[in-house]
Amino acid sequence: MSDILFGLDTFGDVPQDDAGKLVSHAAAIRQVVDEAVLADQLGVDVIALGEHHRPEYSVSTPETVLAGIATRTSRIRLASGVTVLSSDDPVRVFQRFATVDALSNGRAQVILGRGSFTESFPLFGYDLRDYDTLFEEKIDLFVKLLDEKPVTWGGTLRAPLENADVFPKTESGHLDTWVGVGGSPQSVVRTAQYGLPLMLAIIGGAPERFAPYIDLYRRAADQLGTTAHPVGMHSPGFIADTDEEAKEIYWPHYRIMRDRIGKLRGWPPIRRQEFDSEVENGSLYIGSPETVARRMARAIRSIGVGRFDLIYSAGAQPASARMRAVELYGSKVIPMVRDLLA
Amino acid sequence: MAAADFELGLNSFGEVATDGDRILSDAETVRLLVDEARLAESVGIDVFSIGEHYREGHNDSATPVLLAAAATATERIRLGTSVTVLSTNDPVRLYHEFATLDAVSNGRAQIVLGRASATESFPLFGYDLADYERLFEEKLDLFLRLQQDEPVTWSGTVRTPLTGQRLHPRMRPGGIPTWIGVGGSPNSVIRAARHGLPLMLAIIGGRPQRFAGHVDLYTRALEQFGHTLQPIGQHSLGLVADTDEEAVQTWWRYWQPVVAALAAERGFYKPDRARYEAEIDTGALFVGSPETVAQKIATVARDLRLSRFDLKYDIMHLPREARARTIQLLGSEVAPRVRELLAKEPTNV
Repeated sequence: MSDILFGLDTFGDVPQDDAGKLVSHAAAIRQVVDEAVLADQLGVDVIALGEHHRPEYSVSTPETVLAGIATRTSRIRLASGVTVLSSDDPVRVFQRFATVDALSNGRAQVILGRGSFTESFPLFGYDLRDYDTLFEEKIDLFVKLLDEKPVTWGGTLRAPLENADVFPKTESGHLDTWVGVGGSPQSVVRTAQYGLPLMLAIIGGAPERFAPYIDLYRRAADQLGTTAHPVGMHSPGFIADTDEEAKEIYWPHYRIMRDRIGKLRGWPPIRRQEFDSEVENGSLYIGSPETVARRMARAIRSIGVGRFDLIYSAGAQPASARMRAVELYGSKVIPMVRDLLA
Repeated sequence: MAAADFELGLNSFGEVATDGDRILSDAETVRLLVDEARLAESVGIDVFSIGEHYREGHNDSATPVLLAAAATATERIRLGTSVTVLSTNDPVRLYHEFATLDAVSNGRAQIVLGRASATESFPLFGYDLADYERLFEEKLDLFLRLQQDEPVTWSGTVRTPLTGQRLHPRMRPGGIPTWIGVGGSPNSVIRAARHGLPLMLAIIGGRPQRFAGHVDLYTRALEQFGHTLQPIGQHSLGLVADTDEEAVQTWWRYWQPVVAALAAERGFYKPDRARYEAEIDTGALFVGSPETVAQKIATVARDLRLSRFDLKYDIMHLPREARARTIQLLGSEVAPRVRELLAKEPTNV
């Protein structure tokens, strides 16, 4: 189990400075770059940046930030988490990530998803009624582009391509491509059908309930004659020196963020008790390095994943506390989880 | 403009380089660009800009991504484009990308918008060349509105409408320096003036002085539209080497096949040796020793009232050593010499 990959994931939440004031979007982006540089130094395997189009998040174009990170790092893999393929153009996505791959000596990884937020649909002129078709058609084209040969393709939601060759080409001949899934069995089967690795977004509830998805993925790959890769999971969390400190730093900002999203989705306001119970048994990996390591090891073992990405920001947690969380994750949590799993 | 403020820039189209007899891979060429941006900064070049192309041998299809990597490899040099094909891009994505680049670079992003002379991007992204003019006009209007610090309500024919839209991440207040790149169309010159935007003249063949009419048109139009005087820049191709002879020989070897292909494809002139030498003597090729190139830049700067000159230093398969030498000499010898020449005999502005 020592070959488990450990990642960090952020949407570039705008943090507070030490005086409690929200920093600018530009400063939030530079914070992400600095966090990734630290993660690289500490041996974290992956930094993943998620595309969002909301004021509280600074990352709308993950690959542009990843390119900035590429120059300043040497080992860490540079991923999106996720790229909203449905409202993007597969040709552009390929070009941008192939460029990141070149810049980073082959460290780029694109995680394609449909997005759990819907802002990008009206912004880029897509109809939410085409939610499924958009993703299906675009992933179909994207998988063709992965062959890095001239592509002829036709669909209903993008201009057709006639023998179109797309540049730059990657050095390895294969751009590392995953599919991010929130909880749709169809998405799991489709990922297996393309033979792509699967990343499960587990953002609430007991992680064990996602074990059937992994089973489904493996069975589907087996039946379809494709390869089942190690499955990844990504979940939110936060690390500080003590359990108490981690929870107290995280909670007030998490609550604001959670209720803001809840309002859009018709959820009731979150109560502290629910939060504590998520921290205890659910999908919030919050606490001291020991606590988080123990919970991560349990989840990794019980679901059977080969990769764990921690979403380490959720709201305006102070920049300095976030940096400390990254430091503790790399220097303490990862080695402890490896020990526990060994 | 004070001669000391005259800006020297470098432009790349992401063209594949060689190392000895070996042709670099696409990825190696991409990484070379970052090294070259770093080198450009170390010799005091003001701006490093990358184009946008969609053909084999060019690796600049994701310009803002390349520039973001250059941003964290440098501290002072400004980072721009040469040019961004606005017509086939989405202004909203461009805003996202350049706001991000500006953040990563601590406020060093700029952009030159153009309609492109190559047309590959139109079929690739599903646009009709028949809409060439309208695409640019509408998208320019939207891109400029997005840079104002207020929610945007916009509708047009070339993209979906926006209602009270704010984009994130926010760009710095006032937006980033935004230029218009023109190839020779008077309409494009007037459009730049109408929006009060700086003008980048792409002069890739013939006597640069024939653009003097465009410069006059631009300055008169700026005045009529009630805008203050804006910077004028020139983009041309060339190579700087230690001697004229070396520069002329090296450039010919790589330029000749490129122009021969363009002649076949776009009806460009054929690259015979006499025409080549004329282009160097009085035309649009800036090829020679530092002194020759500096004299030539100072002359066009005076004739066209330029405050900026960008040299496109890469051409298909040009050895990386020759590219590096051009960058070194442009920064360390040509730039100070141009400023010295312009201080003695300034432009007519």
